[in-house]
Amino acid sequence: MTFDPVPYAASALAGPLLLTLAAFAVLLLPLFFKSLRGTQGLVSLGAVLVTLVFFRAAPPAQLAFFSGALNLSPLSAYLWAFAMGVLALFIALSLARPAAPAEHEGEYYFLAAMATIGLMVMMAAGDLFTAFIALELLSLPLYALAGIRRSKPGLEAAYKYFMLGAFGSGMTVMGIAVLNALYPSLDFVSLKAALPAQPLALAGFLLVISGFAFKTALVPFHMWVPDAYEGAPTQVSAFMGAAVKAGGVVLLWRLFSLFDGGPVREIFWWLTVITAVFANLAALAQSGLKRLLAYSSIAHAGYIAVAFFGGQRGWEAVLYYLPVYAMATIGAFGVALILERDEKGPKIEDLAGLGKTRPWLAAAMAAFMFSLAGVPPLAGFFAKFYAFAGAVAEGYTSLVVIAVLMSAVSIYYYLRVTVMMYMKVPANGGDHPVEAPGLAEAVVFLMAAGVLLAGLFSRPLLALAAEASRWF
Amino acid sequence: MELLTQLIGTRLSGIILLPALWGAAIFFFPAAREKEVKGFALAGTLVTFVASLRLWAGFDPAQAAMQLTLDIPWITAYGINYSLGIDGISLLLILLTTFLMPLSVLASFNYIKDSQRAYYACLLFLETGMLGVFAALDLFVFYLFWEAMLIPMYFLIGIWGGPRRIYAALKFFIYTMAGSVLMLAAILWVASAHHAAAGAWTFSIPALYAGALTEQAQFWLFAAFALAFAVKVPLFPFHTWLPDAHVEAPTAGSVLLAGVLLKMGVYGYLRLAVPMFPQAAATFAPWLAGLGVIGIIYGSLVAWSQRDMKKMVAYSSVAHLGIVVLGVMAFEPAAVSGAVLQMVNHGLSTGALFLLVGVLYERRHTRLIEDYGGLAKVMPGFAAVFMIVTLSSIGLPGLNGFIGEVLVLFGSFRVYPWLASAAVAGVILSAVYMLGMYQQVVFGPLRHTENKILKDLDAREWLYLLPLLVFIVLIGVWPNPFLRRILPAVDNYITLSRQQPAPPPAVVKLALDGEEAR
Repeated sequence: MTFDPVPYAASALAGPLLLTLAAFAVLLLPLFFKSLRGTQGLVSLGAVLVTLVFFRAAPPAQLAFFSGALNLSPLSAYLWAFAMGVLALFIALSLARPAAPAEHEGEYYFLAAMATIGLMVMMAAGDLFTAFIALELLSLPLYALAGIRRSKPGLEAAYKYFMLGAFGSGMTVMGIAVLNALYPSLDFVSLKAALPAQPLALAGFLLVISGFAFKTALVPFHMWVPDAYEGAPTQVSAFMGAAVKAGGVVLLWRLFSLFDGGPVREIFWWLTVITAVFANLAALAQSGLKRLLAYSSIAHAGYIAVAFFGGQRGWEAVLYYLPVYAMATIGAFGVALILERDEKGPKIEDLAGLGKTRPWLAAAMAAFMFSLAGVPPLAGFFAKFYAFAGAVAEGYTSLVVIAVLMSAVSIYYYLRVTVMMYMKVPANGGDHPVEAPGLAEAVVFLMAAGVLLAGLFSRPLLALAAEASRWF
Repeated sequence: MELLTQLIGTRLSGIILLPALWGAAIFFFPAAREKEVKGFALAGTLVTFVASLRLWAGFDPAQAAMQLTLDIPWITAYGINYSLGIDGISLLLILLTTFLMPLSVLASFNYIKDSQRAYYACLLFLETGMLGVFAALDLFVFYLFWEAMLIPMYFLIGIWGGPRRIYAALKFFIYTMAGSVLMLAAILWVASAHHAAAGAWTFSIPALYAGALTEQAQFWLFAAFALAFAVKVPLFPFHTWLPDAHVEAPTAGSVLLAGVLLKMGVYGYLRLAVPMFPQAAATFAPWLAGLGVIGIIYGSLVAWSQRDMKKMVAYSSVAHLGIVVLGVMAFEPAAVSGAVLQMVNHGLSTGALFLLVGVLYERRHTRLIEDYGGLAKVMPGFAAVFMIVTLSSIGLPGLNGFIGEVLVLFGSFRVYPWLASAAVAGVILSAVYMLGMYQQVVFGPLRHTENKILKDLDAREWLYLLPLLVFIVLIGVWPNPFLRRILPAVDNYITLSRQQPAPPPAVVKLALDGEEAR
């Protein structure tokens, strides 16, 4: 491989570095210069856009940084681009409708940038310990973001999220301690080489996996999700749904792929089944839109876990699934944001009559729902198809059968949203908030275009995902 | 650019995509010009119909292989191609679809007053879905169209339907989807098995015909496909969504449901389930034929007891489709070609029946038989058309229904004598209830004063009923041009259904369960 690693590394690391810089700038500068107050969001968005300038096609090679703590490769480039994209959308939604009180704007964007950096490090982490630190860097800002309004639902969300998150982190740390005692090195390559493990190591791995399963929200580690998504500001819920889950998925995948069989796979099999079954059944009973999306996000964690069983193809499918799922989720939360009147967000019945009052918004929401349900020709169908294809090819047909049956169940609750929008007469005459926050609508329609086109024209994204998946 | 000319410019693909593009254009109509949308939609369906006549012209009746094929690489990583092609069976079903579409649009002109843009866009999207199913030669593309079509139909029922529309729309969507998801798993399994055996991914339907599958695998795969199609047909006991969907759907929705959507299930057996898994098909065929016959008798008996005309026609569809399935499962040339022709016939006559019920409903806003009576006096034109359509539906010689039914019964008698004999009883029953309804609606005294002022068919209604009558008579007296095009495809189907699969390779990588694969 003949390429100069230095400029490449500089361009690759420019993203997180600029983001750090911007984070501190928006936190500190407005304290000294009053005229800068209120511009924090724009500055953060600007910083994210400036990183585009440094964007280079990743060379087909893997570079290890900081003695192997950070691995840069086309894979990390793909995931980082994804993380930055989610952050940009999150900032756009926050600019459209500020989630934080004006005096906390600086902290708000600072925390978001920090969480994103944590996410990026987590995605590129070369060893378990770096991954854990990154996980904390991701989680701590989010606890604060969930409660940034200091209102009752927000604090409740933050509290629950923090308590259960701390529990998960504790398990991860204990697991890492066990593994650290047993193995000479905690980086993924040598862990893979050092297996098979004795029972104690197995216990360690299971503890670590449970910790990350908290972040990915696999059942039974999902308890925080519905409350956190409901109580947190809607923009933050969108970020949690799209970004935090992605980070957890990448880490779980790394742990999963350490094992070629045996009890860990067995446990993953059961986790997947329980997640798909439970989340879809629980979602049927929800009445709040944000809670519905929360359970839907748990269910999708289950579908993604099905793809884990698909080997190389499965990994490719996961990388395709993440952005497709993120688009539908961010779009749906965007609609919830536009329609929300209180912090808990709209109820599903509040959407009644939306097809009449806001036809384009309703059409976009319908596209998100059909995409999440996996109905062609929307992108969600293609994502599920790829995710399940790998698992079937590897012989996990029964897993896929359960997953497709549960996605047939999921149709009901996704359709309920469209029923409300198009087929029900609103109780209150359909007075949906009409002041149109332009930027939020722009995000929603951009996401709608994404779920419409990313499926039928899935070749470019799938090719990128395939290239990235080779560097796992 | 070249891709675009291939997608739009080729006959088959152009016909499929044209309605969707036309429907997308409707969204850009300003609200102020909503009144012009129906004319625009009618133009779109007419253009599609005229374009589809070029398929008939370009079709070589003697050739059994797929014609007018198109093969564009799509998702190369999985060997998925946008590949299309037609044989005689798909040709007739495509023409039936494009023929019924303008009539459905015309029938909606006065009935639909709400959100017209969305309504006509849904109809046009639906047309693309239906045409795509009949032309797809790639399993993935087939499934894509098969499922995508649910969305517009769901909205058609749910937004513009009757009082219980939401229940009916949800039931329709969930039933069909639940039936089809297992087919998706089966599709993945078949493709993976081919990948394991041949080393390359493909979803091409002809390439998967001669698959090397064990008998047990075939059994489960056929079951998964058969379930999806049985829900769609609908075979007894999977038919319960149909009466609800039919009754609640607007007239055009009912016409297309009965006329085209139900045929997709039968088409699935003809094109996919049987040729791909012939051994399992042989095992299942008597059972499916038996379910078909139960459907004939059960559907007829239930139809007999209905007071709502639309419900009666809906249950009569269950009976008619039972005959079709009996024919398809007989693997006998006369029976199968009769079944294919009967699909077209049923589309014409049941489509016409729903349109006629719609004509009455628009005038009186009731579909109960007892609310009518003596209509022959005030609506002589309507009575005449209704007569012809009723007779066609019960299979009177000289009209289209007769040819199809007789071929199916004669053909299947050789294979399933007992089932065919039972089916005859169902045919007789159909005469009883259909004529009974006709008599109560059209003859007798004018009991209800409201009915005395009913207007006879107007020009628009004649316009969409006459073409149906023409074909009802034409196929009845001169079925040869149609049968001639069906027969090679039917022979093909029977040959495929008799093939013995290649012995499975010694080591099959796939297992039914993850446990064994490890």
